Amino acid sequence: MRSAPIARYASAEELGKDGFAQLLRAEWTKFTTVRGWVITAIAVAVVTVVAVVDIALVSQNHNTRPALATGPDNESVTDAFYFVHQPLNGDGSITVRVTSLGNVPQAALADRPSLAGADADIQPWAKAGIIVKESVTPGSPYTSVIATASHGVQMQYNFTHSVAGSPGSVSAASPQWLRLSRSGDTLTGYESADGSSWTQVGTVTLAGLPSTVQAGLFVASPMAQLARGTDSVTLIPTQAKATFDNLGLHGQWSGSAWAGTDIGQAEQVALDGDVAPVPHDGVTRSGGTFTVAGSGDVAPYVPFVDPTQVSFYGSLVPLLMVIALGTLFMTVEYRRGMIRWTLTASPRRGRVLTAKAIVIGGVSFVTGLIGSAIAFPITESKLQSEGWNAPFYHMVPLTSAVGLRVVVGTAALLAVVAVLAIAVGALLRRSAGTITTVIGLVIFPLVLALTLPHGPASWLLKVTPAAAFGLQQALPHYSQAPTACLPYNGCYPLSPWAGFLVLCAWAAVALGVAMLVLRSRDA
Amino acid sequence: MTTTMRDAVLAEWIKLRSISSNAWLLLASVAVAVAASGLTTSIDKCQAGCTADPAKLSLIGVQLGQALVAIVAVLTVSGEYSSGMIRFTLTAMPRRSVMMTAKSAVIAGVVAIVSAVTVGASVLVGQLFLPGNGFTARNGAATLSVTSGPMLRAAGGSVLYLALIALLSVGLATALRESALAITAALGLLYLFPIIGHVLLNPVWQNRIDRIAPMNAGLAIQSTRDLATLPIGPWAGLGVLAAWTAGALLIGWVLLLRRDA
Repeated sequence: MRSAPIARYASAEELGKDGFAQLLRAEWTKFTTVRGWVITAIAVAVVTVVAVVDIALVSQNHNTRPALATGPDNESVTDAFYFVHQPLNGDGSITVRVTSLGNVPQAALADRPSLAGADADIQPWAKAGIIVKESVTPGSPYTSVIATASHGVQMQYNFTHSVAGSPGSVSAASPQWLRLSRSGDTLTGYESADGSSWTQVGTVTLAGLPSTVQAGLFVASPMAQLARGTDSVTLIPTQAKATFDNLGLHGQWSGSAWAGTDIGQAEQVALDGDVAPVPHDGVTRSGGTFTVAGSGDVAPYVPFVDPTQVSFYGSLVPLLMVIALGTLFMTVEYRRGMIRWTLTASPRRGRVLTAKAIVIGGVSFVTGLIGSAIAFPITESKLQSEGWNAPFYHMVPLTSAVGLRVVVGTAALLAVVAVLAIAVGALLRRSAGTITTVIGLVIFPLVLALTLPHGPASWLLKVTPAAAFGLQQALPHYSQAPTACLPYNGCYPLSPWAGFLVLCAWAAVALGVAMLVLRSRDA
Repeated sequence: MTTTMRDAVLAEWIKLRSISSNAWLLLASVAVAVAASGLTTSIDKCQAGCTADPAKLSLIGVQLGQALVAIVAVLTVSGEYSSGMIRFTLTAMPRRSVMMTAKSAVIAGVVAIVSAVTVGASVLVGQLFLPGNGFTARNGAATLSVTSGPMLRAAGGSVLYLALIALLSVGLATALRESALAITAALGLLYLFPIIGHVLLNPVWQNRIDRIAPMNAGLAIQSTRDLATLPIGPWAGLGVLAAWTAGALLIGWVLLLRRDA
């Protein structure tokens, strides 16, 4: 007997869609239907502007003007060294052997108990070598080939550029031969270990270099930077002494006698109400051997304090709001049992977390971006009227690479921290624990770094998510002009984007773990 | 049956000790604080003429431990709201002022006892490391003996400080009722001021924040040297924190009386 076929039941309703777009829309709807969250998101933009600009308004520049020159690109530079020179009237080359480069501790420091021994070691960027310079005026264009204490051979030009040659330091056993040759406005630097086989270090064009230039030997030693406690740096003049021999000149040299000139204004530094004496530089000659003692530096000037970064510490307030927002967006699901509906509607749990992260990250990014884009130009102009002008600071335009990095970086920082809060929220399911954990990861390291000594502080700001605050730095950093990097002054040990990557790595790992746990655990 | 203050205190004590996370959080606050103090005093060095305050250094862990103290205090209040327990509490103890006073007293008492352990251990750890790291009279930063007046003030004051932080958190949580909001508010109030005060480039404003902000002013109680140059004196600073605490408790109390639970 054949049974009647059973008709398969099919609902007349259209099939529900469970694509990612629907999931996103569902999470977006959840966000927009809680009035407190929407108000908080809007408040993030307002609070960013108010907090950042308010800090800028009370950030007067109290620094005194150091002895600086203005470089070829209109930047502030230190240009102080001891120069043994004569005119070169056209093309030519100069070759020399550097047989020693050593530190000269200053007797004047010995009777200051807190500073004695501060200049005991040679400065890593103490330098001795050959320089061709437009004139003896500080700030004028130049090219040099140098042996340094710890950075090997370098070819430097116009303050902001440094090209590395071979590593190694100079001693009587391993002297360093250097050569700089000029042809028109092109300068080529060479190095050699034995004076017979030469390696080119680099070629530089100094446009508009006059026919007659000053060329010869020079020695400089940057100031020692003594980080004291967590918040202050003492600068101490240092001196280096180098020995040169086997000096060889070719080309159109003037043939006049070598002249010794102390280039640049001697920089005197106030130490505990006293003034540190400037080392006495000079040259002595014995036959073909020149012994030159020099202090100062030929490098870009990088101020210690970054007033833009300091003002942007104001973004900690909206950051707290974003942490609370991200946490609640996740943990409320658990408190109200909503998570069961959410996971019933979208059983693929990993995607739920992704959708939540996108919604809250996106909201934080947009509202943070609006806030920081409005705050940035106001902050820069307020800082200018608070005395942050050259040489301490050059106003950064919003549309410059640095300006965009600070503005977009601040928004990205808020967004990624919000995502971190979502991930931690999914793991811990409770708002109290989540908020505390995220604040502990992102903001606590900053509190500690401002209290701890320099070493551990710097370590904290490399490995914790707080490294990402480096995105808000506006001062340039040059490897050849290192500054004592204190978070107090708005300096971070990692480069801005590397610091941001540290935060992203924390958020990515947290999100990955949260997805695994969400999948394996009952909701 | 009328509930006396004694019953109310007993009830709050039972609630506090029967939630195991409270004990763990308080234990963690001791561990974190002593570890931070130990780490700092073991690595920080003092050379001739250093200006560091050894008492402050050995009590530095209080700055971290207070976060967990604040969280315990917030949760004892806001936890009742999220679980609905508050309705039972207020049914059993309809006099809300009595309930709040009892709750505050129990939390402050428990925190004070736990903090005494934190502070005592931190001071001892400091005594262990600091003299060997150059914190000597010869270098101008002598490690004070445990029984000296300034050291007792710094240590006893730190216990009071933590109890006041707990009460401040109770006030905030009573006013805000929601754990997430109250914890954000408490930690924000404690930590944002010091960060911003620390980096501010204007000494006048820096000084103002050091005198007004709850954590900056309150921790002045830990200072034992150069008191004349401090932005605010030790007891005056603790007084500023007490004023914040009184304000938060007052707002919480008024809202508790006027609002439906």
